[in-house]
Amino acid sequence: MSRRGRRRTGVRRYLNPVTVGGLLLVVVTAAPLYWMAVTSFKSPVEAGASPPTPFPEDPTLDNYRHALDAADMGRYLYNSAVVCVSSTVIVLALALLAGYALARLPMRGRGPVMVGLLMISVFPVIAVVTPLYLVERELGLLNSHAGLIIPYVAFHLPFAVWMLRNSLLDLPRELEEAATIDGAGVLRTLRSVILPGAGPALFTAGVFTFAATWTEFLMALTLNSENDFRTIPVGIAIYGDRYQVPYGVIFAAAMAATVPVALLVLVFRRAVLSGLTDGAVKG
Amino acid sequence: MSAPSLTRQRARVGWFLTLPALVVVAAVTIFPVAYSVAISFTRVGLTYDGLRVEDWTLSNYATMLGSSAWREALVFTLGYTVVTVAVELVLGIAVAVLLDRLEVGRGWLLALLLIPWSMITVVSAQLWGYLYNATYGAVTWGLGLLLDEPPVILGTPAPAITAMAVADIWKTTPFVAVIVLAGLVRIPAERYEAAEVDGAGAWRTFVSVVLPALRPVVAVAVLFRVLQAFGIFDLPFVLTQGGPGTATQSLAMLGYRALFHDLDMGMGAAVATATGLLVLGCCLLFLRVFRSHVDEAGEGGAT
Amino acid sequence: MALRRRSLLTAGVGVGVGVAALAGCGGGRGGAPDLARAAEVPRGEVTVRWWSFPMATGDGRDLRTLLIDAFRRHHPTITVETVDAPAVTDVSRAVLATAVAGGAASPDLYLGDVAWPAQFAHNALALPLDSVVGAGYWDAYPEPLVRAVGHAGDSYAFPFYVDQAYLYYRRDLLDRHGLAVPGSWEELAEAVRVVTRAGDAEYGLAFQGAVYEGLTANVAEFVADAGGAILDEEGTRVTLGGRSGERALTFLRDLVADGVAPRAVGTFREQDSTDAFVGGRALFLRNWAYVWGVVEAPDSPVAGRVGAVPRPGFADGAAAGHGCLGGWCNFVNPHSEQPGAAVAFARFCAEEEAQVIMMRNTSYLPALTAVRAGAEARRSSTPVLAAADEVRLVARPTGTPHYPQVSKALATHVNTLLTGGATPAEALAHARDGIAAALEGTAL
Repeated sequence: MSRRGRRRTGVRRYLNPVTVGGLLLVVVTAAPLYWMAVTSFKSPVEAGASPPTPFPEDPTLDNYRHALDAADMGRYLYNSAVVCVSSTVIVLALALLAGYALARLPMRGRGPVMVGLLMISVFPVIAVVTPLYLVERELGLLNSHAGLIIPYVAFHLPFAVWMLRNSLLDLPRELEEAATIDGAGVLRTLRSVILPGAGPALFTAGVFTFAATWTEFLMALTLNSENDFRTIPVGIAIYGDRYQVPYGVIFAAAMAATVPVALLVLVFRRAVLSGLTDGAVKG
Repeated sequence: MSAPSLTRQRARVGWFLTLPALVVVAAVTIFPVAYSVAISFTRVGLTYDGLRVEDWTLSNYATMLGSSAWREALVFTLGYTVVTVAVELVLGIAVAVLLDRLEVGRGWLLALLLIPWSMITVVSAQLWGYLYNATYGAVTWGLGLLLDEPPVILGTPAPAITAMAVADIWKTTPFVAVIVLAGLVRIPAERYEAAEVDGAGAWRTFVSVVLPALRPVVAVAVLFRVLQAFGIFDLPFVLTQGGPGTATQSLAMLGYRALFHDLDMGMGAAVATATGLLVLGCCLLFLRVFRSHVDEAGEGGAT
Repeated sequence: MALRRRSLLTAGVGVGVGVAALAGCGGGRGGAPDLARAAEVPRGEVTVRWWSFPMATGDGRDLRTLLIDAFRRHHPTITVETVDAPAVTDVSRAVLATAVAGGAASPDLYLGDVAWPAQFAHNALALPLDSVVGAGYWDAYPEPLVRAVGHAGDSYAFPFYVDQAYLYYRRDLLDRHGLAVPGSWEELAEAVRVVTRAGDAEYGLAFQGAVYEGLTANVAEFVADAGGAILDEEGTRVTLGGRSGERALTFLRDLVADGVAPRAVGTFREQDSTDAFVGGRALFLRNWAYVWGVVEAPDSPVAGRVGAVPRPGFADGAAAGHGCLGGWCNFVNPHSEQPGAAVAFARFCAEEEAQVIMMRNTSYLPALTAVRAGAEARRSSTPVLAAADEVRLVARPTGTPHYPQVSKALATHVNTLLTGGATPAEALAHARDGIAAALEGTAL
């Protein structure tokens, strides 16, 4: 911990280039979010006022009432949660096994496998939606949670496998070799040596998969067109009509979709941070 | 100790571990991808009996290559990808280093950074569209305070492209930062100490220790950012619909329009296939330049 | 080292395997629709699903519920369930086209844009209706609308409501300067000069100039004002060009160059232009009929100070009063398992009882001529309804199955003109070429 060992004290603890940079980052990241939050409490007329008002002059909850009345937000949130959590868990499990094998085990043909996975990822999603629809129709998977989970897992696995493989590559070999000498099988090595060191990569791949599935629109729209199985991004797309983009209502709905995730991350921010930084190779 | 039989056994276990992932990916993706590639070589008609292949032909590709819309979209998409990914990479590394060094509020900052990233793209595009709105947008208003005659942000090519890049960078820099941070914390402390002993300054340490060690994770970050940036779709779709003129029309938009507006399946598939090939080319080139880890030996390591 | 050609090849083989087996592999198995069944209302209990969007009534209910209740009084055995369509037209089309082309039986009927019939007919996404209802059925609707729902000698959608464009103006500002409602574009430009010079408005005319279908609608109107058309009647040949085309495009360019329209008009869609008008910045607004409800809403800053009239024309041009034909129709899914019930409901929505319910409870304009032009409509206090039948409806170039490409070519090049990237002559030439390529199906 030598780098962070030089603890600053007093004013310098708070006033140094790093903290100032951090503050700047906070402002830049938060400003648009602040604007979204503020607008969600404005009336349509105030939302269209120029010069714009920095906070609502006449705050109203109408947008939220609208957003929650017009569509079944609770249902959409539930669908999104089921689909995204399941996809993420499955992706991580499969990717950990595959990533470890591709990084460490002496298989011939790892190169083609990695490139093949990459080739799957480079193909634009827009073009696979229609054939996927046909397949799912044949299999009776349309309008179900599984109908989204399966393609989500398949299309997000390549990134997770790449991510895990590349980060497991530079895990020290000594521990693994020691385990092998001790007579540990591959699976035991995986559990006792690799898993503890794979934390940051698993976390990153997990957050990536979750964010990607949480925000995915085109497949969710096409494959689950029934109201009962729509996810949040599709639900939000139903707001408004042909001509009007009701910014206030959309932002209110977006807040309703974002706040639960944000609260979770905030409450568990320590866990998030340690998930990301544990497995740090101590010197 | 790596007797041939042991190696063979370990390889078998390796395939056993890899297979579930491969089977899922192959089962779901091979048919749709192959289907699209095949359709791109046909003229298809939609009939009451479904899709009917009328003709096997190269005409979709011929039309595409001869179309100025495609060439313009190609140039835009390439340029946009290079610029946004480069900026996001630099900023992402900076943010990761900052997060690593920060002594107060790390958890809070990380949580904040995750919000734009987990925002639904269509919504964040609408948010930026609202900020850039020519009559009441906050950014337009801010520019009005600075300039005598502020540009119509989304109605003039250069500002429109810049505005789109800003929205993209805001949303996806955290993605790069988190990946880099995950790599950063795993650099063994003794490497820093060694550099310190050598009398290297902060910048030298960064260049000679940190950057090389980050290579594997950065490779993944860049690779998949290139994929995403090349497929950029929601953002121009909501912000500019490709305008002004065709200044912000991306390849993915072109393909989407052919498939879902024009219902021209063959043409849409051709645009998608060509895009896929281009991205693949870019990625392989990148990996080669980056000399990263696709080699059979898998021994590349960080140094 | 890094990449071996062999890796690429081996990986490529995997993906390539399926291709050979794919020739002719298609989706649905529907077969040609059974038109005789579609003409018969089924006897037993059946349910049909209606892809549609909520339509607010004056008292905050959904028009769909009112219509379904009224329909059920005639056909108690038919249940109609609604499926909410995405708000954006193009997104709705994407989902529908994927589902119906894939042979899905649901939704049984769907609300679609009046711009869709040619494309949907060409791609077998809609049931042909002439033999189901008889070709004379359509005589009860305005002629441009009948042409819009027809394609290649048949008809593919039941009219539901019509959307059409008007010129909205600030009555208070015109009165203050002693100006009359402009009878021509020249008078309008003059009025704008007077009012903006006095500082009473920032802009003159707001319209829709972004790169999208809305701009196509605006251009179609101006071309009609100048006495031309974008396509011929059959939708097979470009007629945009010559004097009328040049005049329309030069006028559009001058609107921006002379400051009659705002510089930002090239980014305006319906909402931006309406916001500019409702926010008090613009003196005039070209927009659809729905805007009347927006400007007269209780919280609108300009409520009670606005008028709406059919659009003017050129002083020396063809007739005035052109307004683009928009609106929505009910299409029947050719793969529906209950085509009879779907037709019965779509037909009900197009006929008098439903059209009157719509007129009395919502701000949507009826499609049936007898209701549009009837005494009750003309007596309405809502100018857009009272004047509904006075507007000369101009269709967008929707007669061709390649309308989306045609529209894109036109909108792209006119937007370039509006944002200062081309001269009228260049924009016209490029638009003509683009449209010609689109009609041949070789546009991208």
